[in-house]
Amino acid sequence: MLVFAASDKGGTGRSVTSANIAFHRALAGDDVCYLDFDFGSPTAAAVFDVPSVMGGIVQGGLHSYLQGQAHEPVRLDVWARTEHPVLRHRPAGSGNLVLFPGDRSGGEFAVGNDSVIRGIDLFLRLHSEFDVVLVDLSAGRSYAVDLALEVTARPELHGVGARWLIHHRWTRQHVIAASGFAFGPRGILSGGVARGHDVEELRGSMRFVRAAVLDPETPPWSLAPPAQSAWMRTCDQGLHRLAADRGVGYSAMLGSVPLEPVLQWREQLITDEDVFSSRVAGPETLKAFQDLAGKLTDDDAWGIP
Amino acid sequence: MAGPANTGERTEQSPEPVLVFGEVHTCLLQHGQALTGRGAADLLRLRADERVRLSERPNLYVRSPDVPTGVDCHLPSASGAKVRAVGTVTARATLTEGRLLQAGAHCTVTADGPGRRRRWGHYLARPGVVEPFGTLPERDVADGCLGAGRRPGDLDLGAIADRTLTRVLRDRALDNQPPFKSQVTRLRWVALRAADGEGPSLERFTLAGDGLRMAELRLPAGIPAAAAAGLCHDLALHDWLLTTLVRMVERSRLGSTDGRDALTALRPAVDHLMHLWMPAARVDQPLRPLWEALEREPGFTRQWQILVQRIRDQLALQTAAHLQP
Repeated sequence: MLVFAASDKGGTGRSVTSANIAFHRALAGDDVCYLDFDFGSPTAAAVFDVPSVMGGIVQGGLHSYLQGQAHEPVRLDVWARTEHPVLRHRPAGSGNLVLFPGDRSGGEFAVGNDSVIRGIDLFLRLHSEFDVVLVDLSAGRSYAVDLALEVTARPELHGVGARWLIHHRWTRQHVIAASGFAFGPRGILSGGVARGHDVEELRGSMRFVRAAVLDPETPPWSLAPPAQSAWMRTCDQGLHRLAADRGVGYSAMLGSVPLEPVLQWREQLITDEDVFSSRVAGPETLKAFQDLAGKLTDDDAWGIP
Repeated sequence: MAGPANTGERTEQSPEPVLVFGEVHTCLLQHGQALTGRGAADLLRLRADERVRLSERPNLYVRSPDVPTGVDCHLPSASGAKVRAVGTVTARATLTEGRLLQAGAHCTVTADGPGRRRRWGHYLARPGVVEPFGTLPERDVADGCLGAGRRPGDLDLGAIADRTLTRVLRDRALDNQPPFKSQVTRLRWVALRAADGEGPSLERFTLAGDGLRMAELRLPAGIPAAAAAGLCHDLALHDWLLTTLVRMVERSRLGSTDGRDALTALRPAVDHLMHLWMPAARVDQPLRPLWEALEREPGFTRQWQILVQRIRDQLALQTAAHLQP
């Protein structure tokens, strides 16, 4: 399955959430790959703790491949290359976890027919090898988003399932932006339809992921003074109404990740060790990522009978 | 009339061939069902002007026409020496039992050639033959072909094989619903001339990371390049089978999890892989001893049989457990 991670703005936790989803799927035994299509600022290597390719690689990455400068993109075995102290010992029964880094000086470029064909070949190849192919797209209606829409509309990819995760923060501006990004006149849905996607099918393959969500009912926020607590509840309810009105409500949501200091200050993978041993991260955060990883292929969560 | 096309023969215009090298990529056909002979023939019709070859014994095997690619570039060399060469590379795709897709490219390099480019008609009359400018440093180029010191712009048969493979995989007749996930393996191979009086031999067969394998052969004069390519396709096919089955057994966590889970994970092996093992089914007689050497060390079939036996034992245990009241 192809999973495209998109967002209208930066700072939505798109990369860190996607990397955590990939990590938890691999822990559960799936073969997973992560494609850093974040043209302009490749960050996945930092999250996976692969310092040798921090900020992208000099050449031979995904950008070089799509522009025809490399006949296949560089791939890195995360279990073997990471310097993360926990990940270095690959757990028994885990699947492959492979990172395809972007080029350091990638940047944007136009979608030509050649790069579409290379995209088709790449996705077909990865689909044959991996259970989950996670593609981290750069923010906004970028070249990367256009390419993903174009390639998945092509008949060569029939039978290859694709899902879209749209990441946003749980704020008024972000809810509005995410809704416009998905359903607005220049949004993913209309862009997809213009390229030949079926409108209902594409809409059905889109879900939202909320990040840095502050829940007034759980500590420490539930322990706030009464006035602050009441204000937070009112705001949160207002946000829920806004989200529902804009098509970003519960039924369109795949999951939500709580506000987590570890993720705010250091984008990283959240492991059992962080939660149960060193206890730097909250158990809710770990559970949120595990839930997201599970729901990714759970047909119930996607309204498939 | 054009010169003889047989790449193994020496002609006046074309000096003696001393090196053959190639690369073959192997993968599972991305389709829910195994293709029939007719379906496979349609899929592998890579040229309109030549027919697809199909054989049904001892297993279903379909081979595309040879597709020539003209090349004028440097050969890979371990030392970094620039050896320019001109000629054509032969690419083909094959499908075994409607399931295993292979795409390979290979070429024969002559001992020497003129220091200038000849007219294209000369090269076109010798499909699959590449002539160097000057004398060929064959050992240096052989090492380069196996991966040491590859530079961008050098002749890259892997890229030609890959292009052939992706061209087939892009075919809309395929439903992209393979019964299981698997990796593409790549075998890079070189065949140097054996010393006078020596028979063919397999000098090495090594596994590198990421599904890359390397083989080095020694062949006496007179063995056509196509025969060497045939042997390497066969090696690559069985190496893919072994690699894939090892991985499947590993992933099933046989012996450490509930037997039923393991069986679900191993089911595709029983349904789609176990009947495909048939070493040397299409290897020319003079090259069969090379397979026999591989059977002794590292013992391809021995490892395959142990895996198959483990799966069958597990099936038997599960059946027995079901029969208990």
